[in-house]
Amino acid sequence: MSVMGFLKPQYLTADEVPENHFVVVHPLDDVPEEKIDTSRLGPMPMTPSVKYSLFALRGYLVLMMLMVFYHVIDLAGFIHHAR
Amino acid sequence: MQEKVLAISTAGIDSALPQVRGRVVKKKWMHHLLTFLMVFGPGLIVMEADNDAGAVSTYIQAGGQYGTRLLWLLLLLLPTTYFIQEMVVRLGIATGKGHAAMIYQRFGRWWGLFSLVDLELVNFLTLVTEFAAIALALSHLGINANLGVPVAAVGLITLVLTGSYLRWERIVVVLCLLDLSWLVIAFKLRPSFGELLHNSIIPGIPAGGLTASLVFLVIAIVGTTIAPWQLFFQQSCIADKRLRFSDVKWARLDTLFGAVFTIIVAGCMMIAGNAARMHGIIFEDPAQMANALHIFTGEGIRYGILLLMINAAVLGTTAISLSSAWAYGEVRGWPHSLQLPIREAKGFYGTYIACVAVAAAIVLIPRAPLQLIILGVQVLAGIMLPSAIIFLQLLLNDKELLGEEFVNKPWNNWVNWTIIIVLFALSLILAAQVVAPNLFPLS
Repeated sequence: MSVMGFLKPQYLTADEVPENHFVVVHPLDDVPEEKIDTSRLGPMPMTPSVKYSLFALRGYLVLMMLMVFYHVIDLAGFIHHAR
Repeated sequence: MQEKVLAISTAGIDSALPQVRGRVVKKKWMHHLLTFLMVFGPGLIVMEADNDAGAVSTYIQAGGQYGTRLLWLLLLLLPTTYFIQEMVVRLGIATGKGHAAMIYQRFGRWWGLFSLVDLELVNFLTLVTEFAAIALALSHLGINANLGVPVAAVGLITLVLTGSYLRWERIVVVLCLLDLSWLVIAFKLRPSFGELLHNSIIPGIPAGGLTASLVFLVIAIVGTTIAPWQLFFQQSCIADKRLRFSDVKWARLDTLFGAVFTIIVAGCMMIAGNAARMHGIIFEDPAQMANALHIFTGEGIRYGILLLMINAAVLGTTAISLSSAWAYGEVRGWPHSLQLPIREAKGFYGTYIACVAVAAAIVLIPRAPLQLIILGVQVLAGIMLPSAIIFLQLLLNDKELLGEEFVNKPWNNWVNWTIIIVLFALSLILAAQVVAPNLFPLS
């Protein structure tokens, strides 16, 4: 096979592929494959690990928001630091 | 007429397909190599685009302040960033859907909206900083930013409007590979290779001890190496490229290659900052450093650093804008693919164009509050990163969603929970620094 033949993609049928050869197909040229069907799934079940993780996340977000709020009022000059 | 069916090996698995567009190879190694090259792209792009304008500034600043003493941190971040993105690869290939859509579906509207708004906001503010870097580098090159920034914005918009994912990917991969020039710059600056090896392998705190500026810089390096948009970007990119189940191992290799490439380039940026430090140059941004450094190293290095700054910002802009457009398109249920022509995905392309155009316009406003925007990026990214990784970790343990094959193995969970705890701790240290500025000594 010529180098150009190897580099250039071509439309192939079964007869055109020599025995013991591989055909490499780009994902965008391939037939779309069936993925895991997520449409039947609703929200994630609240197992203990999910519940504790989301609880910790809420706590973290509240804490960060308080920190940001503190920083803003500090920058605005409402907090007097002891020297 | 019945269509002829061809039994072929696509990336290692046999499937029955009608007439197919492909390349015939004889050798197995050639089959593997070609398949890898076809899958290659999203991993490199997501990693290297993270070496954006902000990252160039952070790594060079780290080199300028502490020399190459923090190279070990980069080496530590290599597996960290790989493990996080590897989870995204599995999720993207298994579901064929983007990250934003997954969060909406599995965690409900509140968390979905929180993630989306935070992502869009932090992405937009980051885009403003990318264009600010372009304007800065252009002005140092003697090009009027009022002309150069709109040209860059038009170029970035044109890049995605071709209706071809592949065209976009190929151009962006070339831009990523241009960053190899950082290796040439680092080599020309003649660092001590023994010292580089020592500082890469042996962790240590720079002279001066644990100061507030060191803590900030370490957090900034971690924050700039692992960014929330990367999770959304790579999963959507994989879905858009339609990677197959059989591509998982090649997509992992692509991600690993991208991680190694990015960390090496980041190390080279630190070496550039170190060179400035060795010459006693004090600088506030990479462009200033490049200008001051050229007295010792010549014009080539100066032009190289300024052009690479622009390249970094361009890469960051296209990847970040796309992550915004993909995420918004997924949640709104709009068609969202680079394969689609504009008329079929108006909302998706409109979001991308709006992100790029408005960010570029803000930079051109005289006296725009850029420092406030940079602070906003840091705060929002700090809030978002741990939460985004929590969602990712929970999704990767969701057997109902992924089945036994794609969920995390126990060792994955040990590694990932460790990473999450460290990221939470760093975010809390950053927050504590804000409340108690004297937590660590100033110098």
